[in-house]
Amino acid sequence: MLTIESGAAGTVVIAGRFDAAQCATVQAYLDKLAGIVTLDCARLEYISSAGLGVLLKTQKRLMATGGKLRLTEVNRHLRDILQYSGFDQIFDIE
Amino acid sequence: MNLEPILALAGKLAAPFDLPTMLAEVVDAATRVLGAERASVWLYEPAADELVLRIASDIAPVRLAAGVGIVGTCARTRRVINVPDCYADARFDPSVDRKSGYRTRCLLALPLIDHQGALVGVMQVLNKRQGVFDAGDEALGNVLAAQCAIALQRTLMMQQVIEGEKLRREMETARAVQMSTLPAAMPQLEDYDLYGTFQPADLTGGDTYDLALTEQGLLIVLGDATGHGIGPALSVTQMHAMLRMALRLGADLEVAYKSVNNQLAERLPADRYITAFIGLLDPKTHVLRFHSGGQAPILRYRAAAGGWDEYPPTVFPLAAMPLERLRPAMSLELAPGDLLALVSDGIYECENARGEQYGVERVRALIAERSDASMAELATELLHAVHAFADGAAQADDMTLVLVKRELPGARRAFRRKIDALAQIFAFTAETVKTAELRRRLDLVLEELFTNIVKYGRASDTMIGVDIRRRANGVRVTVTDPDAEDFDPANAPRPDVRAPLERREAGGLGLHLVRKLVDALDYRYSPEQRAGRITFTLRERDAHD
Repeated sequence: MLTIESGAAGTVVIAGRFDAAQCATVQAYLDKLAGIVTLDCARLEYISSAGLGVLLKTQKRLMATGGKLRLTEVNRHLRDILQYSGFDQIFDIE
Repeated sequence: MNLEPILALAGKLAAPFDLPTMLAEVVDAATRVLGAERASVWLYEPAADELVLRIASDIAPVRLAAGVGIVGTCARTRRVINVPDCYADARFDPSVDRKSGYRTRCLLALPLIDHQGALVGVMQVLNKRQGVFDAGDEALGNVLAAQCAIALQRTLMMQQVIEGEKLRREMETARAVQMSTLPAAMPQLEDYDLYGTFQPADLTGGDTYDLALTEQGLLIVLGDATGHGIGPALSVTQMHAMLRMALRLGADLEVAYKSVNNQLAERLPADRYITAFIGLLDPKTHVLRFHSGGQAPILRYRAAAGGWDEYPPTVFPLAAMPLERLRPAMSLELAPGDLLALVSDGIYECENARGEQYGVERVRALIAERSDASMAELATELLHAVHAFADGAAQADDMTLVLVKRELPGARRAFRRKIDALAQIFAFTAETVKTAELRRRLDLVLEELFTNIVKYGRASDTMIGVDIRRRANGVRVTVTDPDAEDFDPANAPRPDVRAPLERREAGGLGLHLVRKLVDALDYRYSPEQRAGRITFTLRERDAHD
């Protein structure tokens, strides 16, 4: 189960398991956003390379217009995966 | 002096004759050049310090100790000996004349010494047609002898090369036959992890093994024929074939063992035997019954207690002598996690430069430490450790290893080739693995491997199998694709994870994560069955790391 919705103070809250079957939903949601987007990952339990691909595509799109994707409340699982993939160099992680 | 016969001879002696032809040429040349009635060539054998005269291929050669008689003295002193009246010389042995009826009047014995100064033999020239041999004959004989020595030496060397080559080819053929009897692929047996491997020494050794599913159960064999060379390679090949035949004909373990033993005892040379473990495992009851003819120690690792059982031989080696009665088979039951290890002498007795042997203790320690690995990995690690121990010392004997492990409980499920099946896969792992952290890593690896198959594999109606086995400290998982392209995830191209954003792609990242997360990854592909199998292990991680 995965949910993505706007949270308090203009953040986007993503929660649950972000696997390959969820890509279309998340991509569609993120495609509507612009500028600096803060993604609250506190309740993101799981992410695979398919999910990372969605975040990568979004980051490229946002940066082309001066925006970017910030990841907050990154848990250990997500931090490991970001580090293994070198994506910790690509996103602002807080 | 008439040079022509000698020069003609020099030309002839340069030809690549075989040894009998070359000897005949030398004898013919000596009689003609020296005007003698007869001549003979005694070849020197340094190992026995003897001179050998080959009269004809079907007559046993005459042997003479160096130093004895005129020929022997010539060999020892390496000087020409000219005897004008043989019967007046105490060194002369008249018994040969008595046997042949030929009367030797005078003789000339010439040492045959090659370029390097080594003694090749002695040429004996008998009965000068007119008078006796004089100083001129001695000088001519020395020139002739030098020529002959070199020609003979060259012929002997060539003969050795040819024989060596012939032996090498025979050996290669026997080896190829020996190798061809080994199982082409490991049998797949539910609840078991099976692996056998055979590493031949350069030329020698007579090991074999077998792992085969028969109607009577899983056949487990390790054999080691005595001796080195072609014989043992052929002996174990025969044993292998007889045993499979006996079982195919419906024989039980006792009958099969006894009849193979008795057949081999009859066929093999008296000094040959084969140490052999022959067992049948019932995959339903997990009871292994076996006879071990001189093969020991048989090792069984008990997973529950962490201890070892060692079994001595149950009977004398196969083919040592006929068997009238056979004691009942030894019987043992494999509990979940138990591991049976059959290890050939070549491993136990592998020596390093200091003369120390690898030994049973090291084998046991490594297996106990790595009993959680797949049997293929464990075998690779053990052989690697043995070679590291030998530290460059040549492998003196075949090394053979058969590992049979009863898996700890686990579960197996099959899934359709579509991304939506991920939810079912995750439900399966949730049932099987209770630790959240381990399950998250397992899910990720499975998702990456599975989506890869769905995206890049064949469009097929066959199901993808996922088998999860618990280990003492983690899981071992096997993903099987029964309709696969040959693609090794361990060798997939690596993405550049340090590249800047604009050059980063999501492709290749999944398998990169897989390699980062697994503790071991093994890939097998069978082109005949078009089947791919990926096995990986994940260990539990301590809370602090």
